Amino acid sequence: MRRALLFLLCVGLLAAFTQPALAQSKDPVKIGLAAAVSGGSAASGEAIKRGLQIAMDEVNAKGGVLGGRKLELVIRDDEGNPAKGVTIARELVEREKTAVVFGGLHTTVALAQVPVWHELKTPYMGAWAAGTEIARNGKSPNFVFRVSANDDYADKFLVQYATEVLKKGKPGLLLENTAWGQSNEVGLNKWLGQKTIKPVGIEKFNWNDPDMSPQLLRLKNAGADHIIMVANAPEGAQVVKSRAKIGWETPMVAHWGISGGRFAELTGDLSHGVTFLQTYSFFGKQNDRGQAVLKALKDKYGVKGPEEVIAPVGTANAYDGMHLVALAIEQAGSAEGTKIREALENLKGEYKGLIKTYKRPFTPEQHDALIDEDYIMVVWKGGKIVPVAMK
Amino acid sequence: MYGLVALGYHITWVTSRTMNFSQGHAVMAGAVVAFACYVGLGWPLWITVLATLVVLAILGVGLERVAVRPFFRAASPAWLLSTIACGIIAENAAMLLFGKDARAFPSALTQKPILVGGAGFYAQELLIPVVGLLLMGGVQFFYHRTAYGKQLKAVAYNPEAAGLMGIHIPRAVMFAYGLSAVLAGIAGILLAPVLNVAATMGTIIGLTALAVAIIGGLTSAPGIVVAGVGYGLVESFVAGYLSTGAREIVGFALVILILVVRPWGLLGARPARRV
Repeated sequence: MRRALLFLLCVGLLAAFTQPALAQSKDPVKIGLAAAVSGGSAASGEAIKRGLQIAMDEVNAKGGVLGGRKLELVIRDDEGNPAKGVTIARELVEREKTAVVFGGLHTTVALAQVPVWHELKTPYMGAWAAGTEIARNGKSPNFVFRVSANDDYADKFLVQYATEVLKKGKPGLLLENTAWGQSNEVGLNKWLGQKTIKPVGIEKFNWNDPDMSPQLLRLKNAGADHIIMVANAPEGAQVVKSRAKIGWETPMVAHWGISGGRFAELTGDLSHGVTFLQTYSFFGKQNDRGQAVLKALKDKYGVKGPEEVIAPVGTANAYDGMHLVALAIEQAGSAEGTKIREALENLKGEYKGLIKTYKRPFTPEQHDALIDEDYIMVVWKGGKIVPVAMK
Repeated sequence: MYGLVALGYHITWVTSRTMNFSQGHAVMAGAVVAFACYVGLGWPLWITVLATLVVLAILGVGLERVAVRPFFRAASPAWLLSTIACGIIAENAAMLLFGKDARAFPSALTQKPILVGGAGFYAQELLIPVVGLLLMGGVQFFYHRTAYGKQLKAVAYNPEAAGLMGIHIPRAVMFAYGLSAVLAGIAGILLAPVLNVAATMGTIIGLTALAVAIIGGLTSAPGIVVAGVGYGLVESFVAGYLSTGAREIVGFALVILILVVRPWGLLGARPARRV
């Protein structure tokens, strides 16, 4: 009896394994997302997921890719932890057989994963992490692509805004004490150096620090006439509160980390006038895609308006990234990693996207689809994000 | 600010020679519950405060029942781990229920800073030490002047004798934990507008407060308040003149130094030596 059961079990298992092979042509093409969906940066993971899902729904509504195969999203949580990031990268490719994997907010995680994508020959599409060396990793062929900011361009952009629009020459740098802060310290010094400007002070703070007045006082006493800040939302909010506390009304130019949380709510009126970098803003006049995305956000996730879009750059970057990947899969005529990678580097035609119109966004030398010209500067005004002119 | 949280360690320590190592998470719970009532449900402030303190008292009593009493009886130090475990559970539960973002707790006292010369502060920041001192006074009064307070102290000195004198020991310890959690709740409500409300806010507050409690002397409420103020001053001094990176290094080095020189704390009672 037992032997008969065992035999049946074997037959069943065999059937289960052979079935997918037969049905492969109609199988969905799986797209992975390896990002922080828990912890302090969970909002960014959720935002990226929304952007991907909306873009996938659009592609699937038009019949999917490769003659009728639907796109399907598989999500794994990296918990902001590089070791975990490597494990889930392998799991997504080896077990879930994802064709392409999108990445999340943490530069540290993305850097740790770079060798894995090359070993498994699976294209990676960065939707947030801005660390310069993620995409410029020195590998050839390079499997890492990005539709997001790059710290090097971002720092150039911030310096350009401070010197040419604000016309200020004595920056005080206020950076978070992490690898991301470090990456920007290098970039900011490089671009300031090109304008023969030396920061009057470089100050750091740790995550969860409650009071930044000492650092701000030192910058103030050193004669800074503006602050360039690299911070995430909670610490950025404490900086703004501390600045009000010492009564220093100096202009603040910030990297985009403060948009990954509830900066406006945390600071109230104090956020007024803080400028920061974005790749896209759902405020103001929207192109067709912008309207479609906002509508999908409303229908699917109950987002009532642009002020309720959490971590907007995550959604915008992921949305365009997903469409570019879908085009590459079509062009490659295959869901195989190496072929998609080649197609991404040689995308034909143009894609009228949310952030911009992409014409051959990637080349063997350039794996960042967005460069400083594509960034926008925005400012908090009464709890709303308003674009600022760069001239 | 740290003194207020550290008093919570003191209360359970003097009663039961145990403490809730997750006192910081109780502060977080206070802030989160207050946020839920005040912002989430839109209750008036006084009901919010009342509701928060009731919830915290229940949590404190529950913690004692679940994580301390079984081990207290067995005279094993496992309460140390079990209270930490409860803290981690609380943090993750808060992440699930409350969300992972830091949220702002609106307060009339943090709208505009008061500027004095070059430096300024928020009225809320002034309120914290005032309440801290008042509570310290209250705790002192309770332990030294009221019958029940004296009973609690008696439990600490000699549980067996106290039990024989008709003091219900489990109830006394339970009361101490409830009171300690209520204090943490008050700290949470006071700190929420200054620090923002986040599920992860508890750990560093709890650790620093533990350092303060040890510096001040676990058995001495005034010592803890003095140490709390002193520690805050040292922190801002180091942050102001050295760097923020050095703040924790100097602070916790100080703890070790004081443990070496005065293991019973600044104002703690020197334990009698058995010869």
